[in-house]
Amino acid sequence: MASLKDLKTRINSVKSTQKITAAMKMVAAAKLRRAQEAAEAGRPYADRMRGVIANLAAKADASSAPALLVGNGEAASHLLVVISADRGLCGGFNGSITRQTRTEVARLQGEGKTVKLLMVGRKSADALRREFGDSYIASLEGVQGTAVAFADAADLGETVRSGFENGDFDVCTMIYNKFINAITQEVKLSQLIPAEVGDAGGDEAGSNYDYEPEEDELLASLLPRIISTQIYSALLESSAAELAARMTAMDNATRNAGDMIDRLTLVYNRSRQAAITNELIEIISGAEAL
Amino acid sequence: MAETTQLELVTPARIMAQKSVQMVVAPGVEGLFGVLPRHASLLADLTRGIVEVHEDGKVTDRFMIDGGLADVSGELVTILAERAIDLGSADAAALKEKAANANEAEAAFLNAVIESL
Repeated sequence: MASLKDLKTRINSVKSTQKITAAMKMVAAAKLRRAQEAAEAGRPYADRMRGVIANLAAKADASSAPALLVGNGEAASHLLVVISADRGLCGGFNGSITRQTRTEVARLQGEGKTVKLLMVGRKSADALRREFGDSYIASLEGVQGTAVAFADAADLGETVRSGFENGDFDVCTMIYNKFINAITQEVKLSQLIPAEVGDAGGDEAGSNYDYEPEEDELLASLLPRIISTQIYSALLESSAAELAARMTAMDNATRNAGDMIDRLTLVYNRSRQAAITNELIEIISGAEAL
Repeated sequence: MAETTQLELVTPARIMAQKSVQMVVAPGVEGLFGVLPRHASLLADLTRGIVEVHEDGKVTDRFMIDGGLADVSGELVTILAERAIDLGSADAAALKEKAANANEAEAAFLNAVIESL
């Protein structure tokens, strides 16, 4: 049985941990609001860009369309862009990305394909370095946070595009956490190359468009931008999701610490009571012996 | 009341402007073009330059954009730009400071903005 002093130390240490987790929760909650606003403010651009590409792609001739849109006809080599967080203590956030990446790599390798990884965020990069470190083409940190810069996404997009044009890989997929709400994140896979385009809803509206410059040229200049845009919105979503995950995780931790303090205090009080009773018995029996 | 067209200027970070206007002049890669109400549907690549918003025959707003895309359809003009700055509220000193800390592409854009102020 632990001594009273040990128990007291233990209780104090849990209390200070609780203070830290409570503070982290508040910080995450405050940042989450900003990140969520940023993620929502970023959606119109991405949506409209997607609409325009869908409109153009619907009319592109499959044989002469740019490779970024239709692929280079092969699928032997894959690039996975993995977006995790730079920091831990956010529940299953990084774990689920890591797990999904591992599954995906195993699946692709099982099909006899070569897999390359572009890691964004420190956590998953560290977790997978031992297994797949040889396949990393780059590993970046510090592009996420409450203020994601479009320039960072544009750089990443450029890396991906030039890699594709040099023939380093044939297909590019991005794995990231999508922010659903404050308690749910969803791991999403979205294909960057060949570009995944939705339906150009409203064919009749698209049929009499004028293009400046010509459609092919316009499409060629837009495709690199849609890659950057997709990466940018994934970074925004992932940042918001990370903060949400951290908030939930820290909320749970604070609650668990509270429970633990209650339990330990009970044990402490019982032991104290037992010690007092013991001392009383000793005094009384000592007095009786006289 | 004069006919208007709905302008939306959208950057990756936010919607910069959203309003009814009489005419928009945008810097296309093949030259400046104006968009009046009932303009034919058009998809145009934009270069670095100034988007002018005209109301009542006067320029009411000017935005510097660093290239982008204009989607004109029906009564809606959507301008998608990676970087955009409202010249009406821009402050040269603040921009200069920002340009000093920014990377090359960003700085070039900011300097162009400062020049056109």
